[in-house]
Amino acid sequence: MDLHTKLKILGAAAKYDVSCSSSGSSRRNRPGGLGNASLPGICHSWSDDGRCISLLKILFTNRCVFNCLYCVNRATADVPRATFTPDEVAQLTINFYKRNYIEGLFLSSAVYKNPDYTMELLIATVKKLRNQYHFNGYIHLKVIPGADPLLIAEAGKYVDRLSVNIELPSSQGLQLLAPQKNRDSIIRPMEFIHSKILQTREERKLYKSTPLFVPAGQTTQLIVGATPDNDLKILKLSESLYKRFSLKRVYYSAYVPVTQHPNLPAISSPPLMREHRLYQADWLLRFYGFKADELLDENQPLLNTEIDPKSAWALRNLHLFPVEVNSADYEMLLRVPGIGVRSAKRIIAARRYSSIDFETLKRFGVVLKRARHFITCRGKFYGERNIDELTLYQMLKPSSSQSSGAKPSSEQLTFSSLYPHLFQPQDFHTVITGEM
Amino acid sequence: MVYYIYDGSFEGLLTAIYEAYYRHQNPEKILSSDSIQDNLFIQHVYIKADQEKAERVYSAIVHKISLAAAKKVLYAFLSESPDAATAIYRYLKLGFKLGKSVDSALADPYVFRVHALHKKVSQEAGKMLGLVRFRLLKNGIFYAPIEPDFNILGIIVPHFKRRMSAHDWIIHDLKRKIAAFYSQGQYIIVPFELSGALPLDEEEFDYQTLWKEYFQNIAIQSRINPRLQRQFMPVRYWKHLIEKPGTHDKA
Ligand code: SF4
Repeated sequence: MDLHTKLKILGAAAKYDVSCSSSGSSRRNRPGGLGNASLPGICHSWSDDGRCISLLKILFTNRCVFNCLYCVNRATADVPRATFTPDEVAQLTINFYKRNYIEGLFLSSAVYKNPDYTMELLIATVKKLRNQYHFNGYIHLKVIPGADPLLIAEAGKYVDRLSVNIELPSSQGLQLLAPQKNRDSIIRPMEFIHSKILQTREERKLYKSTPLFVPAGQTTQLIVGATPDNDLKILKLSESLYKRFSLKRVYYSAYVPVTQHPNLPAISSPPLMREHRLYQADWLLRFYGFKADELLDENQPLLNTEIDPKSAWALRNLHLFPVEVNSADYEMLLRVPGIGVRSAKRIIAARRYSSIDFETLKRFGVVLKRARHFITCRGKFYGERNIDELTLYQMLKPSSSQSSGAKPSSEQLTFSSLYPHLFQPQDFHTVITGEM
Repeated sequence: MVYYIYDGSFEGLLTAIYEAYYRHQNPEKILSSDSIQDNLFIQHVYIKADQEKAERVYSAIVHKISLAAAKKVLYAFLSESPDAATAIYRYLKLGFKLGKSVDSALADPYVFRVHALHKKVSQEAGKMLGLVRFRLLKNGIFYAPIEPDFNILGIIVPHFKRRMSAHDWIIHDLKRKIAAFYSQGQYIIVPFELSGALPLDEEEFDYQTLWKEYFQNIAIQSRINPRLQRQFMPVRYWKHLIEKPGTHDKA
């Protein structure tokens, strides 16, 4: 089979994996070597579905002995199969990288023969890239569920990021749809990677020469809408993953119906809006100081699809508003609908210098259409007086023209500059366009 | 009313700022010589670029305001926006009074403008880091044409210097007719125009095809979203990409 056919099959097979991020690692190039990993991550193109292409994302093979029902590559599916050699993957990566098509490699695989055998092939590939081709670009490697921890430890020495997919938000879900996987085969490797990262960090404090171990940390991905698990359950899970294993990201992937089965929901299109709301809520957990319990509870376990989770929260907590922009603390400013991380920071910085008027807020990127109902500015309230929650709800709801189609679910990095002598580390802190 | 007219170079602009200060003049605007319009009521003062004066202003910015301010000024300048020079002048004037806290004075329209221009330019530079596409030429050199909105070539070159240090390469800004040439740890940026097509390495076609095929294959059919794609990757950048956005397999 020629390389073109293999790439077609194994590229297409990997496309449902959503993680595009190449961020979080700053690996330096070495003399005579090729490439480095850039801290904020770089998108090289955007595919026709609007997703950022940063890494060459391929499966090593799509020959699988497992039979997860939601997966196109499951053992019983009738699809063309292909397998790369480690050298083919290395050549492709190097040549794409030199032409600046990609930022690095995201290598995943189906379970070929057994988890350890597959893991060994993946390790052989990344070793070749690092040692033989002197490649210093970004590598993200998927951990095959059930692989030996020793192999995971070995892989971690060569790659920037490892990830173990949670796949489904509950054990029952796994049992039903991915019977060969179980909670243990997923959570244990995560736990192991986490403790290994902590251990390496301690050792590097003492001995500078301790080799790196997945410097960009670990992430995971889960499928939304293939099981009856509600948003509260999903957000609670994410919250504890961030807390317990310091995960860098949890990626949510709307279930794309690839096949029919009595255990699978009968839907015709992926639940994109739900996925989008989960990303927004996840963002609130990570950057806005919210807790999952504040956003949802047992009586209301699903995120509202009509309005964003922050507005929904504010509407339930109207007694906390309005707040004065010239005196409210940062945490509270962040909770105002229409004020994002960037505009909140601007407000805090600018008001040290002079008090802020309403016009200035607009220039700071505050979305006044929303925010005006929740703030006062120099004591003055600019919203409608005496309106009830329902009317306000209608006003916060995007008009139907705005809400058509899903909004971007991936965060974009606003990247700054590279003039070495003008280089400022704080440039890397400007991250957000997911302003809410 | 007085306008200062400078030659369009960064040194020229800094010289104009130097003169405004030492002549105790307060020009209404500072404009580049290619963006002036005749007006009877306005006196045009032509400023000749002077390396030494420019350097004195530059070091004053770094020491009296901050390195970050120097970077903002440079980036705003590279936007080539007609109002950039005036905004920079007023921003610096306030900066020499307030020191590094000038960057908090966002309520001032000129400070805000400089920040906004800086952001636009660094955003495009950031985008360009990904959108540059090298072609391997017969002679082993990697060549990439670009046509950015702003003059960002100088900003992006150090990135490729770090990354592609063991190869020879050229990044060519076709719009401004300048190119960066890199070889063995050194680069220069010089005026440059091509007279004909460049002969490509044989391998090149194969990798271009592989990349195109990969690109077409990875879009998820049920999620096709051209609007989103264009929002991130405006169509004006597509010309020099190898992949052809908007051509996903209909199958
Ligand atoms: S193990 Fe992975 S590739 Fe194999 S069927 Fe399950 S999800 Fe698909």
